[in-house]
Amino acid sequence: MRLAMNNRGAKIVQYLITVIVLLTLNFFLPRMMPGDPLSYLLGDPGADAPMLLTEEMRANLREYYGLDKPLIGQYWDYVSGLARGDLGWSIYYNASVASVIVGRLKWTLLLGGTAALIYTALGIALGAVSAWRRGSKVDIGLLLTVFSLGSWPPFFLGMVFIVFFSYRWGMFPIGGAQSAEAARLGGLVQAQDVAYHWVLPGLTLVLTYLPGIYLITRNSMLSVLGGDYVRTARSKGILESLVLLRHALPNALLPILTTVAMRFGFMIMGTMFVEVVFAYPGMGTLIYEAGAARDYPLLQGAFLVTMVFVLALNLAADLVYGWLDPRVGRLRVTA
Amino acid sequence: MRKNLLAVCVLVLVVALIAGCGHPAPAATIDTATSTSPSTSITSPTEARTTAETRASRVSVTLPGDDWGYPSPFAFYSRGPGYIRMSLLFDTLTWKDQDGVVPWLAEAWTVSDDGTEWTFELASDVAWHDGERLTAEDVAFTFEYFQAHQGAFKWSWPVGKIESAEALDEETVVLNLTEAVAGAHEGLIGSLPIIPKHIWEGVDDPGKLTSEDAVIGSGPFRLLEYSKEEARYVYEANEDYFKGTPTVDELTFIRVENQALALETSTTGYASFWGREIEAVETFQNNGAYGVIDGPSFWVLQTIFNTQQPPFDDVQLRRAASHAIDRGRIVEQVTHGGAIVANLGILSPFTDWYNPDLPGYEHDPDRAKAMLEEAGATDLSLGLITTAGFAREAELVQADLEAVGIEVEVQTGDYSTIDGLLREGNFDLAINGHGGIANPAMLETPTWPAQTYDNAQYDKLYQQQAATVDEEQRRDLVWDLQEIVAEDLPVLTLYHPKMWTVYDASVLDTWFYTQGGVGFGIPISMNKLIFLP
Repeated sequence: MRLAMNNRGAKIVQYLITVIVLLTLNFFLPRMMPGDPLSYLLGDPGADAPMLLTEEMRANLREYYGLDKPLIGQYWDYVSGLARGDLGWSIYYNASVASVIVGRLKWTLLLGGTAALIYTALGIALGAVSAWRRGSKVDIGLLLTVFSLGSWPPFFLGMVFIVFFSYRWGMFPIGGAQSAEAARLGGLVQAQDVAYHWVLPGLTLVLTYLPGIYLITRNSMLSVLGGDYVRTARSKGILESLVLLRHALPNALLPILTTVAMRFGFMIMGTMFVEVVFAYPGMGTLIYEAGAARDYPLLQGAFLVTMVFVLALNLAADLVYGWLDPRVGRLRVTA
Repeated sequence: MRKNLLAVCVLVLVVALIAGCGHPAPAATIDTATSTSPSTSITSPTEARTTAETRASRVSVTLPGDDWGYPSPFAFYSRGPGYIRMSLLFDTLTWKDQDGVVPWLAEAWTVSDDGTEWTFELASDVAWHDGERLTAEDVAFTFEYFQAHQGAFKWSWPVGKIESAEALDEETVVLNLTEAVAGAHEGLIGSLPIIPKHIWEGVDDPGKLTSEDAVIGSGPFRLLEYSKEEARYVYEANEDYFKGTPTVDELTFIRVENQALALETSTTGYASFWGREIEAVETFQNNGAYGVIDGPSFWVLQTIFNTQQPPFDDVQLRRAASHAIDRGRIVEQVTHGGAIVANLGILSPFTDWYNPDLPGYEHDPDRAKAMLEEAGATDLSLGLITTAGFAREAELVQADLEAVGIEVEVQTGDYSTIDGLLREGNFDLAINGHGGIANPAMLETPTWPAQTYDNAQYDKLYQQQAATVDEEQRRDLVWDLQEIVAEDLPVLTLYHPKMWTVYDASVLDTWFYTQGGVGFGIPISMNKLIFLP
C-alpha cells in the first residue's frame, strides 16, 4: 500500500516536470517563428478588409503589449501571471485569454465529446459483433463499410456532406454552431437548433473515428475469443451473449481503453479540420487562428488547455488501468 | 458494381445514424432568412415602445461577416469591417456620402488659415444611448482622451497631432493641432468616434473595458448582442437618433464561409466580392433578382525589390525586370479580368490622387535582356517570397524572369512569416499586397512592410504633402511622389483588384460606395447612411 502511494507520488512528480517543460516550450516556440503578433494585427488582409497603420503606431502597440521588453522579462510576466491564475490578454481578440478559451472550449466539448461517446459506443458494439460473427456476411459487410469510411479525410467528408445535405437538399445548415434567432430565444428552441447544427460536423467526426475503435475492438476481441477461458465458458453451456458480455469483452477492454483515452485526449486537435470546414467555433479553429495571428498569450493559453487535457486523460487512463488490471499496478511497483 | 455496394453500405450507415440520433427533422429548422418577418416571435427589450408599435412590420436584415472584435472604439480589430461595425454605434463630427464630406455631429465648422485651429458648432439634441445629452464637453474630452491613450487602440487616427481641445459652450468646441494635418476630414475629424465623457472619464486602460458601457455611443444603432466565437452581432435601431429613426429595426451580422451561397439561399441579403471572385459576380449579374454595384479598387498587389542589396540595388536591373514582367497576363490569367493593371505610382486610378502621366514599362523581354547584358548582370539567381494566396502570381513572375535569364526560386509562407522576412530585409524579391484605402498615406512606405527603400528626397516630399492643407498643392506633391515610385521602382505594382457589392433588392436596395471610402478611405459599401431614412 505504502509502495503504491509512493508510486503514485512519483507519477505525479513526473507529470509536473512534463508540465513545466511544456510551459517553457510553449513560451519560447511561438516566439521563434518569424513575424510577431503585430505582423498579423497590422498586416495586409486584402482588398476586402483594408486598413493602414503607421510605424509610429506599431511602436505604440509594442509598448502597450509589453513586446518591447527583453524575452526574459516577458517570460517572467507569463510565469508570474500563470501563478496568479491569469492566462493573459489576447492581443488579436482584445479580450482575456481565459474568456476566449472558455467561449470556444464549450463548443469543442459539445461537438467532440458527443461524437466521441457515439463513436466509442458504436465502435465497441460493432467491433464485438464483427469479431463474434467472424467471417460471416455481417463481419465482411462491416469491415468493408468501415474501411471505406476510414479512408476519407475528415475535411473532404465534411465538404461532401455540405454539398449534398446543405447545398443541394437544404436539409442542414452550412455551418456554425447555432443560428442567431434561436440563440436569443433560448430554451428548447435553442437546444434543438444546436443539435441540428451538430448533425453534419458530428456525423463527420463519428464516421472518421469510428473505424479506429471498431478495428481495435474487433482485433482485441478476436484474440480474447481464442482464449481457453472463453472456450471453457462456452463448454459450460452459458448463453452465447453472456459469454460475449461477461467473459470476452471485459478482457478485451484494456487496449480499447488506451485508444479511447488517447482519442479523448486529442479531441481538441482531432476536431480541428472538421471545425474549420463547418465554421464551428471551437478550440481547433481558435488554435489555427491564434497561430496565424502569432497571438502569443492566446497560443500559450490554448496549448496549455490542450496539454492539460491530454495529460489529465493519460493520468486517468493510467489510474483506471491499475484498477481494471491489478497486474499493471504490481508490475510498476517491482520495477 | 462493387462501388455501388460500397456506396449503399455507406448510405445505409449514414441514414441509420441520422435516424438513430433523433435530431429534429429539417422542416423544424429555425428560419434564418432575412426580409420582413412581422409574425416571428423575436422580441427585443425596446420593441414595446410606441414608435415600434405604430409600424406595420418589423424590418430585420441579416448580413454576412466574421468576427471583427467587440465594436467599442478601443477593441474592434484593425480592419475595415471592424471600423464599420463600430461606426454603427458611434458618430463622428463629419461623415461622408457618395459625393463627399457631409456635416454630422458638427453642423458647421471653421478652420484657421494655418490649418491648426478648428472650431465646430455641434448639432443640438443629440443623446447618448443611455439618455445623457451629447455636449461639446464630450467632444473636447474625446480628442484629449485618444491623444493620451495611444497604443490602446489599433487604428491610424493621427491623434499624436492633437495639442488641446476645449469646449467654449454647450455646442462649440475648439480643437488645436500641433501642425496642419492634410486630409484632416478623412483621417481625424470624419473618422474619430466621439465617446461619452461620463463613461470613459475614469477608465485608465480603455482597451480592457469590454462591458456594455464601452459600446454606449450616439449612433443610429445600439448593440443588443455580440458573440465573439460565433461572430454574431445583433444591432437594434436607435429610435431617438438625431438624424431620424433607421429604416432597419434589427441588423444582424453572422459568420458566413461562402458569401455567394448565403446570398443565394437568402440566408443573407448582401455579399461583397473582389478580384478573382468575378465569376460568382457574373452569375448574379445574369439574375434579375439581384443588384450589382461596381466598387472602386484601392488595394494594390506589388512586387517589392530589395533595394538595399544586389542585384536590385541597381535601378537598371529593376527597370529590366519591369520590362520582363507581363502584368497584363497576370491580370488575365490569375484574376480572369477581376482586376485592372496597376498604376505604377501605387495609388489606384479610382482615387482622387491618381497621376495619369507616369512613365510605363511595356512588356519587352528582348529589351529586358539587352538591359541586363548592358548592366553586366548575367547568371542571376534569386529568391521570391510570397503568401500562398499569391502563389499563382509568383509563378507567372518567375516564368517571365526566367525567360530573360534570371533564375527565380519561389518560396511561400504564412502572412506573419513573410511580414517578418520583409521587415528584416531578408529577401530579394517579394509579392505582397498593400493598403486598400483612398488616401495618400499609402505612399508613406512604398515597400511596406519592408523598410528597405531609402530615399531622403522622397521622405521629405511625403512629409511636406502630409502637412499641406491646400488640396491642389497637395495633389501636385502626391503626383511627384508617384513619379518617383514609377521611375525609381522600389516596387513594381501588379494589379488593383475590382470590388463588387451584390444585394437582394427585396431585402435592402440602398447600397452605395462612399466617395473616397468610408472614414479614412474604406472601400466597403456598408456606410451607416444606407440604414437611415
